[in-house]
Amino acid sequence: MFKALFGSERKGRVLLFLHAHGESYPSEIARALGYYLNSVQTILAGFERGGVLYSRLRGKVRLFGLNPRYPFRRELEALLEKALPFVDPAEREKLFTPRLRPRRTGKPL
Amino acid sequence: MSRRPESGFSGLGLADMALAVCDHLLKNGIQVVLSGGACVSIYTANKYLSYDLDLVLLSSEKQKETKAVVTALGFIEEGRYFRHPDSPFFLDFLPPPLSVGEEPVKKIAEIRKGGRVLKLLSPTDCVKDRLAAYYHWNDRQALEQAILVFRDQHVELAEVRRWSIAEGMARKFSIFKGLLPQKKR
Repeated sequence: MFKALFGSERKGRVLLFLHAHGESYPSEIARALGYYLNSVQTILAGFERGGVLYSRLRGKVRLFGLNPRYPFRRELEALLEKALPFVDPAEREKLFTPRLRPRRTGKPL
Repeated sequence: MSRRPESGFSGLGLADMALAVCDHLLKNGIQVVLSGGACVSIYTANKYLSYDLDLVLLSSEKQKETKAVVTALGFIEEGRYFRHPDSPFFLDFLPPPLSVGEEPVKKIAEIRKGGRVLKLLSPTDCVKDRLAAYYHWNDRQALEQAILVFRDQHVELAEVRRWSIAEGMARKFSIFKGLLPQKKR
């Protein structure tokens, strides 16, 4: 789905993951998508260098997200949003539909 | 022991350093525009001092050449930055497009000194650039820098307002406007 556009399917899926999750860190992305950590780090570094992603340190973790100051952010988000229904439903549910609302401490799942 | 040749960068302030680097790049066919906090330093006579020279490349074809040109000047690559042993300032080359928020920069300012040329954001675009950091990251330092530039330079406030609304930031623009000092006419 993304190979023709981004040069690799992985790059598109990493962006889709960040679009769905808002922010994430390399090992979480690697674990969720089943990619090697090095591969994810290289993809993230490339997008950050190009201004597509931002990163910030939170404690000891470096979080990445879509850069709100990237001039084509709205168009990129629209593309990623349009791509979501094309993902296999089970995979979409598992990887790209995170629960983002808070859950009170101690509340049973 | 061999001595390193004099670079000419020792003791240079931020504006002169930026001028020397940008002019040298331009003479090698590489166009860059100074952006970010360094423009605030220049427009406020260092009331805010940045050590980071954010240089936006106008052509993505020139990235490899840029590295060779600044390395020949004595800069050393450290991660994504370039440092010079004779200067506290470091260079960060950013890819095109030159933009503020979602809009391309239409008019680039120039500072000329001693036959050298420095291209940089205009005061109005510098304020937008700082406000973008305030709008999107809630960065209060960037808000204060925008106010400093407004105080010291001619800034087209109506244009900043138009851009802010286009960015969906009318409410935060009102906060910025409310903090601006009255200018004497």
